[in-house]
Amino acid sequence: MIDVKGLCKSFGDNHVLVDIDEHIEKGEKVVIVGPSGSGKSTFLRCLNLLERPTAGTITFEGRDITSAKTKEVNQIRQKMGMVFQHFNLFNHLTIMDNITLAPVKLKLMSKEEACQKAMELLHRVGLADKAAAYPAQLSGGQKQRIAIVRSLAMNPDVMLFDEPTSALDPEMVGEVLDLMKQLADSGMTMVVVTHEMGFAREVGSRVLFMADGHILEQNTPEEFFTHPKNDRLKDFLSKVL
Amino acid sequence: MLEWLEGCGEAFYRAFLESDRYLAYLRGFRTSMVLSLFAVLLGVGIGVILALIKYMGNHMRKGIILRALNWIANIYIAVIRGTPVYVQLLIIYFIIFGKLDASPMVAGVLCFGINSSAYVAEIIRAGIEAVDAGQMEAGRSLGLSWGQTMASIILPQAVKNILPALGNEFITLIKETAIVGTIAVLDVTKAAQNVAAITYDLLPPLLITAAMYLIVVIILTKLLGMFERRLAQSDRR
Ligand SMILES: Nc1ncnc2c1ncn2[C@@H]1O[C@H](COP(=O)(O)OP(=O)(O)OP(=O)(O)O)[C@@H](O)[C@H]1O
Ligand SMILES: [Mg+2]
Repeated sequence: MIDVKGLCKSFGDNHVLVDIDEHIEKGEKVVIVGPSGSGKSTFLRCLNLLERPTAGTITFEGRDITSAKTKEVNQIRQKMGMVFQHFNLFNHLTIMDNITLAPVKLKLMSKEEACQKAMELLHRVGLADKAAAYPAQLSGGQKQRIAIVRSLAMNPDVMLFDEPTSALDPEMVGEVLDLMKQLADSGMTMVVVTHEMGFAREVGSRVLFMADGHILEQNTPEEFFTHPKNDRLKDFLSKVL
Repeated sequence: MLEWLEGCGEAFYRAFLESDRYLAYLRGFRTSMVLSLFAVLLGVGIGVILALIKYMGNHMRKGIILRALNWIANIYIAVIRGTPVYVQLLIIYFIIFGKLDASPMVAGVLCFGINSSAYVAEIIRAGIEAVDAGQMEAGRSLGLSWGQTMASIILPQAVKNILPALGNEFITLIKETAIVGTIAVLDVTKAAQNVAAITYDLLPPLLITAAMYLIVVIILTKLLGMFERRLAQSDRR
């Protein structure tokens, strides 16, 4: 579904991603872990071109998106949901408008369809009573669940998560991870950058270890956590587990 | 003492009430307000465009066109902010409008509108930049174009930062337009000078004019304060 070849990204002299090859199959739940500053966010943001790769190609559903025109990129992004560490809900809009804005503006649904779909999703995550509320009235965990719903309303083929629970108070992490698990069970293709090793172990179909802009090791969660081979990974796991 | 007070009353009577002179002040006052209002509107029109050019220059990959526009915008802003508005007024009316048969009022609106636009541009750009960058990313990640995200997500939030500063700009402009009499626009200051030319007494008309500016500025400042508190409230929710 996503095919990455020779991906490089530099900010000036800072070579953040170095010649990365990776392939993500439909239905996979790929979890990316690694030390701070290793390029995890940058990798994820290259996948939907929020960052422009310096070199390399990314193919999504058979289309080379790195050479696509702006208009096509916008269309491709409709199929790639993204969830941010800081939620990035639209603060001036109600929860309902947050969810329906993009599908309606992009003429994918009528206003009524979009509202109906939004209510369905809100019921699914248990936040139907918040439809008329504003983001500032919600807890962090609720905000992040709404952010996930907002992405889902676009019927994406893949969901990208960049540390979705890192900005949350500990007691709210669970509700967001539960929703992500549900999503995984429903067959969604997911790429998740996270520090939640429990989630990686339980939900991941594959775990990648990233350091200094390279993917140094990847394996099934079982092997990854019990028999790490790379020394950097062993060191990393000894610190976080 | 009593005589002096009587003298004051007399002078004030001649400067304001005799031969319905207060009408001249009021007409002048209306001209000042209309001039300021249209100038601010023009300033906002040009200012938005300048602000968007500068914002794009700061936040997007720069093509040759954008680079050129950005360069022009920077020079425009530097020149307008770096020269006295009085000189700008003289240049626009006597040099640029000199050959045309245009009304001084139009020249005045144009001059103060252009002058204001340079300040408004910075106000708007700062207002846009104060909106968290994550809002643009969230919009783009949903597939919205840059323009769509700007129009329906960034600008509505930027307005909250912009409106109070824009109100201040309007208040400043009202005072600055007092020099527009130079190009024969009958604003309130010019009206006062005209009255003085008849009564041979400059102080009372000037005091009356100053009082009118002061009252309007105080009222507008109060209104603006109330408006800002309302905006802040909707933030807290
Ligand atoms: N827009 C940018 N401009 C310049 N440098 C950047 C930019 N974004 C990221 N970097 C640099 O790229 C490197 C990798 O950043 P990245 O955010 O991808 O790391 P990360 O693995 O996500 O780290 P963390 O776990 O802290 O989120 C860092 O050195 C960072 O300073
Ligand atoms: Mg990161």
